[in-house]
Amino acid sequence: MSIFDIWLGILQGLDVTATVTGYGLLFAVPFALIFGVAQYLAKGAVLFAVTCIIEFWRSSAVIILLFVFYYALPVVGLMLSAVTVSAMVLGLNIGGYASQAVRAGLQSLDRGQKEAGQALGLSRSMILLLIELPQALVAMSPTFVNHFIQLVKATALVSLVTLTDMTFRAKEIAQIEYNPVGIYTSLLLAYFVVCYPIAILGRLLEARISSGRELARGL
Amino acid sequence: MREQSPDMATEISGLNKWYGSFHVLKDIDLTVAAGSRIVICGPSGSGKSTLIRCINGLETYQGGSIALGGVKLGDNAKETTLARRDTGMVFQSFNLFPHLTVLSNCTLALRRVLKMSRRQAEDIALHYLEKVRIPEQAKKYPAQLSGGQQQRVAIARALCLSPRLMLFDEPTSALDPEMIKEVLDVMVSLASEGMTMLCVTHEMGFAREVADQVIFMDQGRIVEQARPDIFFGAPSHARAQQFLEKILH
Repeated sequence: MSIFDIWLGILQGLDVTATVTGYGLLFAVPFALIFGVAQYLAKGAVLFAVTCIIEFWRSSAVIILLFVFYYALPVVGLMLSAVTVSAMVLGLNIGGYASQAVRAGLQSLDRGQKEAGQALGLSRSMILLLIELPQALVAMSPTFVNHFIQLVKATALVSLVTLTDMTFRAKEIAQIEYNPVGIYTSLLLAYFVVCYPIAILGRLLEARISSGRELARGL
Repeated sequence: MREQSPDMATEISGLNKWYGSFHVLKDIDLTVAAGSRIVICGPSGSGKSTLIRCINGLETYQGGSIALGGVKLGDNAKETTLARRDTGMVFQSFNLFPHLTVLSNCTLALRRVLKMSRRQAEDIALHYLEKVRIPEQAKKYPAQLSGGQQQRVAIARALCLSPRLMLFDEPTSALDPEMIKEVLDVMVSLASEGMTMLCVTHEMGFAREVADQVIFMDQGRIVEQARPDIFFGAPSHARAQQFLEKILH
């Protein structure tokens, strides 16, 4: 089997990798926004509950979460597809990290921004949506790109819950032909080819933001 | 009970505030009649900023009451929000919204709080930007402007809601010396149009020219309240004398 064939074989798993990443984002983005904002605004018992949920998803080993949810949910009668379980576990794990970026972005804003909004008679939710979040999200967007790349790379784990992603395909090929160096080097490159454009995109974004800041500073 | 005439802007009585165990405002009584221009001065930590921040609900207080135009400030959020619309606040550090243009800074509350159309809001905003002599900067972002220009935008932003009372919290303290005048000029012209103003400042020239009352605060109390000619001529309290000697060199 030529390296070219190995490559083609691995790329057959690209659609699963992309699908899990895509669905994973559907979990990660809302989780990061809702829980990051909640941790910023909540107090007392609510804050404690929000923090517990974030820490559960952030501080657990992803691979174990994957196994637990894949094997344990059917026991309690919840039959979810491997794609759904994977997207949920990976998405909420990355979402847990990203929620901290959202919270930190909001907390790092000058207190005067909120006060100026209050002084103008804006409601708390208007201050959040019109003043705080736009500034925090722009400042944090390079971090979000990092988390996005993390998510793509984390999808390699779904090969362990029967999904035929790129990593699973590589392992299949490795069983047909003994060429671990060729196969796994190709796999490494395959993830790089997927992730590097995202990194470039992130860098462009970062450059745009900092040039925006320079513009804002008056050049 | 004093009678509350409808034109009475603000009535503060028996105001007390603590930060933990620190008693920051002590039994403050102050009436700001409509059209009056009061300058508050005093050493740092005397509670002057805290006092005006209480008036628009940026700070809570533990005792006493504040009434705006005869309406008592309740502790429920809705009344506080309504009261805030009646007062305009200008901060020491401007606090313009950096992600919005000058024009959008001014129209934000008009559109979102008063639900005006964009056109209507922009007309009002441009009117006040002209008033602070800066209409040509409307499309720029705050950080493209000088400090003095930013503070004038902040004044225009506050004026857009047609407040009954303008609160100024050391509006020139963060400015380079050569920019102070352009901001004070705007404030003087506001005063000449009859705007009710409560102004924390160390600009004693402004106080002399514009104020009809000067209040001196020290350690959370109003120590002296007098017309500027009397206050600057012969302050009756030793603490105020010391302060004036230092600040007037």
